[in-house]
Amino acid sequence: MIQTIEASPDEIYDIELEHSLLEANAKLAKENRSLLDLHGISAIDVMGAIGSGKTTLIGQLVGRLKDRLGVAVLNGDATTSTDADLIAGQNVPVVQIATVNGCHLDANLVGKALRKIDLSNLKLILIENIGNLICPAEFPLGSKARVVVVSVTEGQYMVRKHPHMFLGADLVVVNKVDLAAAMEVSVEELAADVHKLKPGLKVIPTSCKTGVGLDELTAALVAR
Amino acid sequence: MHELSIASAVVDSVLEYLDAHEVKKVMTVRLAVGELSHVEAEQLRFCYMAITQETAMENSTLEIESVPAIVECPRCSYRGRPKYWADAISAAPIPTLECPTCGGAVEPVEGNDCAIKTVRFVA
Repeated sequence: MIQTIEASPDEIYDIELEHSLLEANAKLAKENRSLLDLHGISAIDVMGAIGSGKTTLIGQLVGRLKDRLGVAVLNGDATTSTDADLIAGQNVPVVQIATVNGCHLDANLVGKALRKIDLSNLKLILIENIGNLICPAEFPLGSKARVVVVSVTEGQYMVRKHPHMFLGADLVVVNKVDLAAAMEVSVEELAADVHKLKPGLKVIPTSCKTGVGLDELTAALVAR
Repeated sequence: MHELSIASAVVDSVLEYLDAHEVKKVMTVRLAVGELSHVEAEQLRFCYMAITQETAMENSTLEIESVPAIVECPRCSYRGRPKYWADAISAAPIPTLECPTCGGAVEPVEGNDCAIKTVRFVA
């Protein structure tokens, strides 16, 4: 809606634009969601800092799921295809989304990636966002759930340092718990911080090394 | 630096409007940035200044107005300002989604968006 006010001739004008800057992405996210719903696919947006273990976790999930249901991975990475290559080794469809200098995936890039794969036999798409615990929060992709991965190697205060990310999360994974004692980081305190921000948010402690929590995470994602 | 994405969206939207009208120069763009959005005002200003160069928006002022968060509780029907986490280690208290009255999870209803409110220009 555009209204013109204070219009004195050939002088200064004020217009009210009332134009949302997040709307363009939100609209594309809805389109992605409609496309996914049409095919009966749940997409999960996996977000977390660089080195939090997103790729390894996704690899473990793919390994557990690929014989049970059609799974594909969209792999956001600024420049390299190393993560995508790793997942592609498991013989599931993988699209690498190179953002070049972009600090987050957006719904437009995900929409383009979805057009690259055959959606007909898929049930689950895991979307690995760019390693970043701030920027992706503002850009929904059309996923059914947003998972935030935080690892004990990032220290005790990762949750309270990046509160916005957790406010928008549907599930939180505390990863690398096998290293918690060595890092002197309390998994319980990380979970308590999450619940201070968002009561009732599910927190699953995991380790890709020992396998703890991976079955629970797999089940939680399939339930979506 | 998602502020660059936001600044680009501002400039694209305003320039699109200008193309359709006889505008000589933009003087001020006023934004409303929600408390729960993740936009850092100083970075946004810097990006805006950088990308408006050599456009009709060059040297225009970016005014940023903050929109306070309002939350609603589905359990106890509380509606109002969120509960803040005061003793976290951050510079400012952190808004949370914990209901200030019943402790359940609330839904944000205002203060999520980032929008262009008005544009002042010379025609």
